[in-house]
Amino acid sequence: MSPAPFRSHISLTSALVCALTAAAAQAQAPAAPAAPPSWQQGRNAEQEKSPLHPFAIEVTGKSAKQLPVDKLKVPDGFKVEVWAEGLPGARSMALGSKGTVFVGTRQLKDVYAIVDRGGKREVKTLLKDLDSPNGVVFSRGTLYVAERHRITRYDGIESRLDNPPEAKVVVDGLDPQKQPGHFWKFLALGPDGKLYYNVGAPGNIVMPSYFQASISRVDPKTGIIENYVQGVRNSVGFDWHPQTKQLWFGNHGRDWLGDESPNDTLHVATRKGQHFGYPYCHQGDTLDPEFGKNRSCSEFTPPALKLGAHIAPIGMRFYTGKMFPAEYQNNIFIAFRGSWNRTIKQGYNVTRVSFDADGKPKMEPFLTGFLQDEKADPPMWGRPNDVMVMRDGSLLVSDDQNGIIYRVSYAGK
Amino acid sequence: MSGRSRNSGGAAAMFAAALCFFLPYAAADEVPRKAQACVACHGLGGNSTDPAMPSLAGQPAQFISMQLFMFREGNRKDPQMSPMASSLSNADMNELAAYFSRQRPAAASHETASGNAAAGRRLAEQHHCVQCHGPALLGLQHIPRLAGQQFAYLRTQLRGFKARTRADFDGNMTSAAELLSENDIEILADYLSGLTPPRD
Repeated sequence: MSPAPFRSHISLTSALVCALTAAAAQAQAPAAPAAPPSWQQGRNAEQEKSPLHPFAIEVTGKSAKQLPVDKLKVPDGFKVEVWAEGLPGARSMALGSKGTVFVGTRQLKDVYAIVDRGGKREVKTLLKDLDSPNGVVFSRGTLYVAERHRITRYDGIESRLDNPPEAKVVVDGLDPQKQPGHFWKFLALGPDGKLYYNVGAPGNIVMPSYFQASISRVDPKTGIIENYVQGVRNSVGFDWHPQTKQLWFGNHGRDWLGDESPNDTLHVATRKGQHFGYPYCHQGDTLDPEFGKNRSCSEFTPPALKLGAHIAPIGMRFYTGKMFPAEYQNNIFIAFRGSWNRTIKQGYNVTRVSFDADGKPKMEPFLTGFLQDEKADPPMWGRPNDVMVMRDGSLLVSDDQNGIIYRVSYAGK
Repeated sequence: MSGRSRNSGGAAAMFAAALCFFLPYAAADEVPRKAQACVACHGLGGNSTDPAMPSLAGQPAQFISMQLFMFREGNRKDPQMSPMASSLSNADMNELAAYFSRQRPAAASHETASGNAAAGRRLAEQHHCVQCHGPALLGLQHIPRLAGQQFAYLRTQLRGFKARTRADFDGNMTSAAELLSENDIEILADYLSGLTPPRD
C-alpha cells in the first residue's frame, strides 16, 4: 500500500490511464492527459486552470501567540479566549464525566485528553497510531473512538489516562476496500443508545455504493449495524434535538459547481430510510448536471436550511447549557471550516441557528475573525472544527488548522 | 501576521526584501542555534550546493515543518534526516521552518539541457504540476517550491513517489508520479532545477 501517512478527503482516482510511456518526450504518440489530483474530480473544462485548492492543516500546530487570536469576535456580553493549545489537528471533542476533554484528529493519528488541573490545562496524547481517529464519544465511563475502519471502546478511561486499556472492537470492517474518500468518521451517541457515524461518498461526485453516502448506526451491545439515512455526501457533525429527539446533521455539498452552488446544508431526519439526494439532487432543488439527468428532486427530502456554498459545516450541537441567555436554549451552533472551493471565500466561523415561532431555522454568525481576506490564499488563519457545550454552559471550539481550543463564555450585559 | 500568505504582510515583506538585497544571504537573519546543524548539509542560509541535498531557503514554512514532522514520525525515512528530526519538538520545527522560509533563494546553479526546458514545461503542465505548485512552480503553504531546487534531489523524490516509497501528505503526488516514465522524471527534474526563483 501507499506509504501515505495522512488520510485525505481526496480520492485517488482508480481510472488512471497511462498517458506517457514515450521513451523520448519528442517521440510520444498522442496520449490522454494524466489524471488530475482527485480533489479536482468533477471540474468542467473552464475550471481546468482554476487556482482553487484545499488547505492543509499545520501538522506541528501553532502557538496562539503566533496567531491573531485578538481578531476573534463574539456578540456583546460574550467573551472568547484560548482554552488549550498544543493539540495539532484537533477536531471532534467529547466530555468525560470527571471533566476530561477528549479530542480526536483526522489527518494525524492521535487522540488527546485534556485535564484541567486547577485552571491550568494539561494536554496528554492519550492514544497513538490510529487510522484517522476523528470520532470520539464518552458514555458511562467508556471512550468510544471511530477510526476509518472500525469503532472501538476504551473502558474506565478517565482513571487510566496514563495507561489506557487496549481497544475493544465494537465493529470492524467499515472500510473494506481501503479506498480513498470521505471515510473518516464523526461519532455521536443517539437517544436510542446506538452509536451513529457517517460513511461518506468515495469522491467529490461519484456514484456511492449502498452503504456509502449514509449516516449509519451500530448497537454497541451487539455490534449490529444498519443504514439510518442515505443520500448524504458527507456529514461530519450531528446531534439530536433535545425535545423532539430528531437527528439534525450538516452535509457537505459537491465541489466545482461554482461559487454559489450548491449550498452545504442542514438537515433533519424524521425517520429511518430517508434519502437526501446525493448524488442526484443537491440542496433539495438542484439536479446534478451528470447524475441528475432523468431524476427529480421531489423524490428526496429537502434540507431544513441552506448554509452557504462550500462553507463546510463540521461540528454542530444544540445549546443546552445554562450560561448563555435564554434565547440560546436549543439553538444550534455549527462550525464552518470552509470554504476553499469558491473564488471569494466565506465561512470560517461558528454560526448560530435559531428557530422562529413556526420552527423555521435562521442563522447568524456567532464567533468570527478567522477569515482575514476573502480573496487571499490562504484566506484564513484558523479553521473552527467542532463545538461542545461544557457543564458550566460555556462553549468550546476546536481549530484543527492550528491545534487550538477556544472557549466562549457569557458574562452578562 | 504569519507571513504564510503570498498576499499578506506586504509592507514588512517589502522591507525585508529590500534589506536582503543589500546584505549577503546569511547576514540578513541571525541563524538560530537549532538551524546550525541543518546548514552543514543544506547550505548557508539553506541554499544547498550539493545536487542531492534540497535547498530550504525560501521554501514555504508550512512545507518545511510538515517534512520535519514526517521525518520525526517515521513517515519519511532517511539515514541522515530521521535522526536529526527525532529529537525536535513541534515548536522547534516551527522555528526552523520560519527561519528557512525567510531566507533568500540563490540563483539556480543547474543548467537545463537544451530542449528540456520546453519538454519539461510541457510535462509540468500535462501532469498538473502547475496546478498545485503554481504556474511558476514556486509552491505555497504545504506545497514546495520546485523552481531552482537541486536536480538529483528532485529526481530522487519523483522516483520515490512513483515507487510509493516516498510519503505523501494527501496522495496527490503518488497519483501524479504514477504516470511518469523514468525519462519524464529526468526531464522534469532537469527543467525544474534550472528555473531561477524570483529574487525579490
